[in-house]
Amino acid sequence: MKDLPQTVAAHDLAQSRPPEGNWFVAIRAVAGFQLNRLMTRPRLAMGLIGAVFPAAVMFAVIRTAPIDRNMTVVMIYALIPEALCVLGLLVTMCPVVADELERGTWIHVTVRPGGRQSLLLGTYAAAVLWTGSVSLVALMLTLFIAQPTQPIGLVVMFTALIGLSCVGRAALFALPAVILPKRALIASVGVALLVEYFAGLLPAVVNQVTVSLRLRSLLVEWMEWQKDLPIEMTLFVDDYPALVQIVAVCILVFILLTTAGFILNRRQFPPSVEN
Amino acid sequence: MDRIPVDSDGPVIQIENLIKEYKSSDGTIVRAVNNVSMSVAAGEIVGLLGANGAGKTTTLRIIATLLQPTSGRAQVCGHDSIADPVGVRQSLGYVSATTGVPDRLTARELLTSFGRLHGLEEDAIKDRLDWLITTLSLRNYIDRPAGRLSSGQRQRISLGRALVHNPPALVLDEPTNALDVVGSRDLLDTLDHLRESGHAILLSTHRLHEIEHRCDRFVIINTGHIVAVGTRDELVGDSGELENAFFHAINRGASS
Repeated sequence: MKDLPQTVAAHDLAQSRPPEGNWFVAIRAVAGFQLNRLMTRPRLAMGLIGAVFPAAVMFAVIRTAPIDRNMTVVMIYALIPEALCVLGLLVTMCPVVADELERGTWIHVTVRPGGRQSLLLGTYAAAVLWTGSVSLVALMLTLFIAQPTQPIGLVVMFTALIGLSCVGRAALFALPAVILPKRALIASVGVALLVEYFAGLLPAVVNQVTVSLRLRSLLVEWMEWQKDLPIEMTLFVDDYPALVQIVAVCILVFILLTTAGFILNRRQFPPSVEN
Repeated sequence: MDRIPVDSDGPVIQIENLIKEYKSSDGTIVRAVNNVSMSVAAGEIVGLLGANGAGKTTTLRIIATLLQPTSGRAQVCGHDSIADPVGVRQSLGYVSATTGVPDRLTARELLTSFGRLHGLEEDAIKDRLDWLITTLSLRNYIDRPAGRLSSGQRQRISLGRALVHNPPALVLDEPTNALDVVGSRDLLDTLDHLRESGHAILLSTHRLHEIEHRCDRFVIINTGHIVAVGTRDELVGDSGELENAFFHAINRGASS
């Protein structure tokens, strides 16, 4: 063991103190840490399979029978913002607390100045970036296979839908992840099925608090399908302008993340909870 | 050797009348920590001794802001764990038996990440890494994935992670549990050096023989209560060994 060099005193305590309210730095650091941990071979293989899967389905469909542009759009919407984004976020967002407790990293991350908030928001950012990236690759591959007309417009539209799906659903899954950390995956699958896919399709007030209603409504508006929509289908979309739909998702994200952060801050994990 | 600057004149770590209760699954209240008070000064190593389930880990986690006390208070460098948890976290390094070092990351990547978590600038992180590499002898494996390292090497990385922001207080929860004799001695030698540089160190363990001659003071805790406090000589008295004094204190505490 070496003697301590004089540098121990040169590192004044003040140097180690981040400026007050430097949340962004802490969140970015956690996000970087989590993304680094996601770059394992199994996770990369999972991402690759996820990216290729929609293109494979599209290939299988168009080989069977040619489909028109609208049908192509519906298929891409169902496969990527609705399915792939949800699956990716289940893998990356749900374990925000459980993984840390099981790996014994919980205490080391939350004992830092940003504490639990930076863990939650940093993991949220990493989950959105990872899932968003995989989904964008999937989008490019699927469009390459489908060869629709006016592909640039579709790229822009689906990039926005993928972004909103990721930020909205990651915030949604943050809630079961902090309330039931040990059963986060099961609880989040339940939330996805019950809230997003069931309540989201109910023609009632409850669907207003789902991301799926907003995404569907945006798809219908941006594709200019309102006039051609069968009357019974209008029950499943909202006719507010796109900006309102986007603001609604942002408000939902804010409420969900604030609630998740509040719950996480108050939760007590006795030493016996850790493996 | 120059001493680490501490921004308070009193004890670096201080806890007063700390109580922590948990609600068990059958609804009964379990008191894990019961009216515990102690302090650790700069340049001092205090050993927190107790059997499994005595309340050592809960006490240390309250100090580290990981748990909230039911009543009482914990302070680090004058920062209260409830009123100013960020101040406590900036002043404290925490090491546990489970290192929680991800297998895929190298020590350099891990320490850099945690330096960023403390908001350190890249230059400051680089300087700090150089210091940690020298002090903790990490040079031979700093760029090797942690999955290929021994338990002792991983625990040294864990210590480096706790020291990355140069905290004046260090809390270690059974840090030698997974280590062999060589690894334990190595880690404890490092703690001796850190004490010389002015760190306040609170160390919990039940491996008494390892720390018998290293700690300045001991606090013995049993079923949440402090049953004895003192230097080795004060505690041992005529019993000859710290282990005898430990059992004597626990038995006395259990019968009172």
